[in-house]
Amino acid sequence: MMLRKTAFALAAATVAMTAQPALAERVLRLDEVAVGELDPAKATDFADSMLMFNVYDTLVLANQGGPGIQPHLAESWTIDGNSYTFTLRDDVTFHSGNPVAAADVVFSFDRMVALGQGFSYLFSQRVASVEAVDDRTVVFTLTDTYAPFLASLTRLPIVDAALVRDNLGEGDGEMGDWGQAFLSANGAGSGAYRVDRHNPQEETVMSAFDGYFLPFAENHPETVRVRYGLEAPTVRTLMARGEHDIASQWLPPEVVQALDASDDVQLFSESGTGGFYIKLNTTRPPLDDVHCRRALVHALDYQAMLSLIAINDEVSQGSPSTGAIPVGMMGANDAGSPLMRDMDAAREALDQCAHAAGDHTLEVSWIAEVPLEERFALLMQANFSELGFNAEIQRIPWALFTEQVSRPETTPHISQLFINAVTPDPDTLLYNMYHSSVAGTWQSPEYLNDAEVDALLEAGRTETDPAARAEIYAQLNDRLMALAATIYGYDRKSVYAASTRVTAPALSDPAEAFSLDGMGFTFRLMSIAE
Amino acid sequence: MTPLARKLARRLALSLVVLAGVSVLMFLIARIIPGDPARIALGPNATAEAVESLRDRLHLNEPLAVQYAIFVRDVFQGDLGVSLYTNRPVTTDIAEFLPATLELVFVAGALMILLGIPLGTLAARYQNRWPDHLLRLVSLLGVSTPAFVWAVVLMLFLSYFVPWFPVDGRIDEALRPEAVTGFLLIDTALAGDGRGFLSALHHIILPALALAASGIGQTARLTRANVVEAYRQPYVEMAQAYGFAERRIANRYALRPALIPALTILGLDFAAMLGNAFLVESVFSWPGLSRYGVQVILRKDLNAIVGTVLVISAFFLIINIIVDLLVSVINPRIRLAEGERR
Repeated sequence: MMLRKTAFALAAATVAMTAQPALAERVLRLDEVAVGELDPAKATDFADSMLMFNVYDTLVLANQGGPGIQPHLAESWTIDGNSYTFTLRDDVTFHSGNPVAAADVVFSFDRMVALGQGFSYLFSQRVASVEAVDDRTVVFTLTDTYAPFLASLTRLPIVDAALVRDNLGEGDGEMGDWGQAFLSANGAGSGAYRVDRHNPQEETVMSAFDGYFLPFAENHPETVRVRYGLEAPTVRTLMARGEHDIASQWLPPEVVQALDASDDVQLFSESGTGGFYIKLNTTRPPLDDVHCRRALVHALDYQAMLSLIAINDEVSQGSPSTGAIPVGMMGANDAGSPLMRDMDAAREALDQCAHAAGDHTLEVSWIAEVPLEERFALLMQANFSELGFNAEIQRIPWALFTEQVSRPETTPHISQLFINAVTPDPDTLLYNMYHSSVAGTWQSPEYLNDAEVDALLEAGRTETDPAARAEIYAQLNDRLMALAATIYGYDRKSVYAASTRVTAPALSDPAEAFSLDGMGFTFRLMSIAE
Repeated sequence: MTPLARKLARRLALSLVVLAGVSVLMFLIARIIPGDPARIALGPNATAEAVESLRDRLHLNEPLAVQYAIFVRDVFQGDLGVSLYTNRPVTTDIAEFLPATLELVFVAGALMILLGIPLGTLAARYQNRWPDHLLRLVSLLGVSTPAFVWAVVLMLFLSYFVPWFPVDGRIDEALRPEAVTGFLLIDTALAGDGRGFLSALHHIILPALALAASGIGQTARLTRANVVEAYRQPYVEMAQAYGFAERRIANRYALRPALIPALTILGLDFAAMLGNAFLVESVFSWPGLSRYGVQVILRKDLNAIVGTVLVISAFFLIINIIVDLLVSVINPRIRLAEGERR
């Protein structure tokens, strides 16, 4: 009898604990897909970037309200040929208390290139040397002229060299593992938030760094909890209970719509520096003929595609595409001239194609991990069948896809990809997709080989005058549209369901939006109601 | 050496052979899955040199037999390699994630026993009357509904519509105890933290119930069938003829023999839950080994795949051995048969 009473009391007490304890501080809770990679030299995914932007600082920062960059750790710089000399601020310290110095910049660069991961490809073989002239002056010397270099520095986070040297793990050479084991679990930055706890599969807990050199918004989050791998029903329940503040962009549109129906939820969005691309394999018939490709470009129902990703009448996970370069980036077409379906033009183009539509079956692939693409595949199948094309839909896991596209003969006729520029410069979006030297990667299943495109891409790298560069990219945009190697489905926008207790100007006001995907999650600029 | 000890030794030896077989199989399967693990780990833009360097470090350029020999050598040194998914030693990951899953599985197993057996006994006692029909229907529902559906349904009703239970995690963060065993129910109890213990219990109830639902139904059905069968045996009729109390007949004469097949099934269910916990762990954001196992497979994280499968296999084998021993202890006929076989 005693045991039964005890069990009953325990059960009653457990069930009585229905509500979460009241928040004693301003805590921002959000989620992302697993895993969160904390080592800034290995950051590639959105979650990694979000951590990097808040735990670490870079020499320059993406601009707000327009393209370009602004000073950050570097208060100024001069350019002399291929030499870039940066003068660092003198009021910045790492979380450890160590001052940020030129030697830390050199160490961070060496470490990133030595590991060869993350965004190291932006720097390796382009930077001949990095030298600390004194504590506040650092000189980068490039191997060749590379105009997007300054923008690339938004991806070179500066780590606390002394702290990392004190925590080197086992490995070859003097630097051992370059602190990989340490930095995968701990922060060593100077950013606005310091890492309190990090479990790559579960969550990262960060707290505001009192010694940060830039101001925080009023009522900024004191603690930030980024949780990984939450399922859609879990997020929906957490949001309904007021236990979650910003849902990840990867929720299915119908779940975002359901959340949006609540008065306690608002929608944030971040205009991507990228888009949804339908890649056409230019080496396999019938798509080896530009006229057949143009027929497909004209036949796609862009409005129907956009309706599949609309959250409500005002907010969508994409905006109409106007060409190869997303609206807002250097060289992009005006937003007022969106791509539209034109069946007359499609039939006209098809008439000029050397192949008959019915002679070939188009393989329309979709990535197994992105269910939304199946809907797009079905739409394409319906649209292209109106021209007489047979289309076979193929579901391909990502790992298999990356292998298939390494050879033109195994690359599907049509591949669907979401690609973003990793810096505020169009070079990081277009070069890896269209230069003939990089054909056959996951970004370039078109196997495009066009001398004019190559020349324009090279010119975009060597021309340093911004106005002239904008003209080069505008020409490149036109050329890519004429070649029709890609159907530009829509310009991508990330949409986030968020609690109304959160204010995030960089995610809600275009004038405050950063020109780099993910930087909208600069937590120090957010506010959270008590 | 007693027959029981001999049986234990034989089973342990056989288990080692099975584990060796599993390791070979997983080692090969992990390498057959499409995709270059080094490329997947480093991302699509990593330099060719970095990819090649990682392939070298993972010994992927060596023949398979050499790779396996290196793996076995490292295992005997307690080194399962580094996970490409979390960038941490696989042993660290397993040590961190395994207690969460084991705690979930143990609580789910306890629920299977505490709910499944009494429900089965009750149904047998009221055979072909309304409690029996109701319990059979509920059991059937439990058996036929996948765990992830239970997870979503339980969350919908007990967290969303009526916010009685937490949705994610293992404990309120403010109450997280110093890690000793990694089992939060034990760690909070060791720390004498009643609030922490209740919070951990509060968090584990829904996921454990979702995971156990199928097993509860299966155990109840099996127990019912066996108890009904036992009630037809002469020794029960004799007990009834002697006028023994109904409770004594049920517990002592009907339930005990009926438990033996149920125990075997329970053991299998118990071990299988470790592998099946993935979807429940995903829905409740439970940071366990099953969720980790699926993620590492998707990323072709060779070391972590083999390490995780080996641990789950070892658990499966251990539970089977324990169940066999328990059955021997409960059933004298099996114990005697073991002795005669000697």
